[in-house]
Amino acid sequence: MPRVLTIEDDAVTAQEIVAELSSHGLEVDWADNGREGLAKAIAGGYDLITLDRMLPEVDGLTIVTTLRNLKIATPILMISALSDVDERVRGLRAGGDDYLTKPFASDEMAARVEVLLRRNSVPMTQTRLQVADLELDLISHEARRGEQALNLLPTEYKLLEYLMRHSGQVITRMMIFEEVWGYHFDPGTNLIDVHIGRLRKKIDSPGQNPLIRTVRGSGYAIAEPV
Amino acid sequence: MPLPNPSKGWSSSTSRLLALYSFLFVAWSSILMGVLYFEVTSYLNKLTRHSMLQRQHLFAHMSGKQLDDALVASQAFEERSFDAYGLFDTQLNPIGGRIRAIPSELGLDGKVHELKRCLDADDPHLPRDSCDAVAIKVQDGRWLVLVRDNGSLFVVTRIILDALLWGISLTLIPGFAGWYLLRRRPLKRIRAIQAQAELIVAGDLTHRLPLSARRDELDMLAAIVNAMLDRIERLMHEVKGVCDNIAHDLRTPLTRLRAQLYRIRQQSGSDSAEGAALDQAIGETDTLMARFRGLLRISELEDRQRRAGFVRLDPQGLLAELHDFYLPLAEDGGIRLHLEQPAQLAALHGDRELLFEALANLVGNAIKFTPEGGQVRIVANEDEAGVHIAVEDSGPGIPADEREAVLKRFYRSEEGHRHAGFGLGLSIVAAIVDLHGFGLEVASSALGGARLVLHCPLAGPVK
Repeated sequence: MPRVLTIEDDAVTAQEIVAELSSHGLEVDWADNGREGLAKAIAGGYDLITLDRMLPEVDGLTIVTTLRNLKIATPILMISALSDVDERVRGLRAGGDDYLTKPFASDEMAARVEVLLRRNSVPMTQTRLQVADLELDLISHEARRGEQALNLLPTEYKLLEYLMRHSGQVITRMMIFEEVWGYHFDPGTNLIDVHIGRLRKKIDSPGQNPLIRTVRGSGYAIAEPV
Repeated sequence: MPLPNPSKGWSSSTSRLLALYSFLFVAWSSILMGVLYFEVTSYLNKLTRHSMLQRQHLFAHMSGKQLDDALVASQAFEERSFDAYGLFDTQLNPIGGRIRAIPSELGLDGKVHELKRCLDADDPHLPRDSCDAVAIKVQDGRWLVLVRDNGSLFVVTRIILDALLWGISLTLIPGFAGWYLLRRRPLKRIRAIQAQAELIVAGDLTHRLPLSARRDELDMLAAIVNAMLDRIERLMHEVKGVCDNIAHDLRTPLTRLRAQLYRIRQQSGSDSAEGAALDQAIGETDTLMARFRGLLRISELEDRQRRAGFVRLDPQGLLAELHDFYLPLAEDGGIRLHLEQPAQLAALHGDRELLFEALANLVGNAIKFTPEGGQVRIVANEDEAGVHIAVEDSGPGIPADEREAVLKRFYRSEEGHRHAGFGLGLSIVAAIVDLHGFGLEVASSALGGARLVLHCPLAGPVK
């Protein structure tokens, strides 16, 4: 069972993180201040750390920097009340792996944790991705479903690659916008849904088993049909 | 907002002060000279009369040959012929002296008369204009007319007038020189103050008006304004502090609320009635959170003074990406989305992500408010002022009287209430545009709807 350390000074937020991650089958430890959190993170051998940016005693940014200086590579999801782009860049540059702004939805947080936990499941050397009979060639950028070659636009290709690299995992709209387009604001309307809809039309033709699944309230996942 | 320029000509306060000062000086000199003139004139007048009376008295007691000799002798020292005489017989026929006719105004009463016109004679040695004259009957019965020219008075008058003119011109010349010199320095200081004030008006409250070491009226005024600015800045910090506190206080409960609703939803049956209600509640919470994030975002953008993330960027790539991003949404809504840009556009200096966000807001709004079958155009062009990116649509447009207001927080036009969305979009755009020093123009489009134009000055040399 993967072990997660949550460093968060607000008890209720921490409880929700713990409850949400536990329901995903993770074992969660909680530290309510920076000093204790840093000690646990160094000693503990965790698979992932969720880290509040602003903490009493030792600041979140200091914890990341310290861990990375000690060559501890545990994935870190930074959770911050500061949403400024500069702040995000600072957090990621210090060694954070992902950055989430408060107030956040707990399913958004859980989806990011899951992705971070399994981020190395697809080796960098792999040149093909496959979900059921959907194949993606990472070198020639060609996609096919069964015998049918798919004609994808560059964005659609990026979107499909992202989903397939994390097949079986829930990917939220915000994660898609950040990863595929590289922007970090809220595009507001149902823009991502529209782009997913386009992609869906191309890969899930009528009569075929749909591969892209909508996860209500949260986002999308691509997986083998059950 | 441009500040009024300091007036250039006569309306500056220095000019007016100097003009007033010069006027007072001239007026005072005139009064002084006038008094002097009056005093001197009356004194000289008295003197003239006195000498005339002396002569009258002297000659009145002579007669015959003695008188004639005395009269001729009196003329011997007369160079400028201030004095003249005429001797007449009892029948008033001239018998000696230069005066050949008794002036008509002169009464034969032995009293001194002041005559406006003196003598009508060709003799250049005789006074013509005003003079004092007296006619006396000497002892042998002849008439003696004595005349004294007021010429000396004229000379005095002329001297005084000359002095007055010199005085005035000598007042005016340093006056003008002083005006030029004196108004230069305050004007320079006013310009320095203006430069700072413009920065403050542009929104940077950390600037203060410059003070000099002189502590004069201008400095007093600047110090008063600075004290006001201190107070305003402190108040704004306090207000912002309160807002930030509220934000911090709300952030956590909002996160908790969303989490708890989500948890309950996970535990309830997927198709139950409560499930649907919970989904709706979660949707509302998400809206609340999005709106909240938007507010915090504006506050962060307005706070940001640094432009660390600014780079030279190519607007064409940005616009193409924007078009691709929104094309599916537009097509789904039955709206044609066009991108028109020239083959070449100059580079901009800005934050790519923020500019994309701003333009995305404009295009997103345009698509949202345009009914099915309409069109939205993204048009870029370039002139010497910079790059202009217009987003226009065939929607209902923005009424002229609402164009200013749409950039404010939470404003939404009447039309907007029919659509889901946050009233914050355009204020985020305005905050981003401000940060870049760009301009945002709200106008109406030839397509019938709104036209929002982003005016971007060229990047130029990177600062």
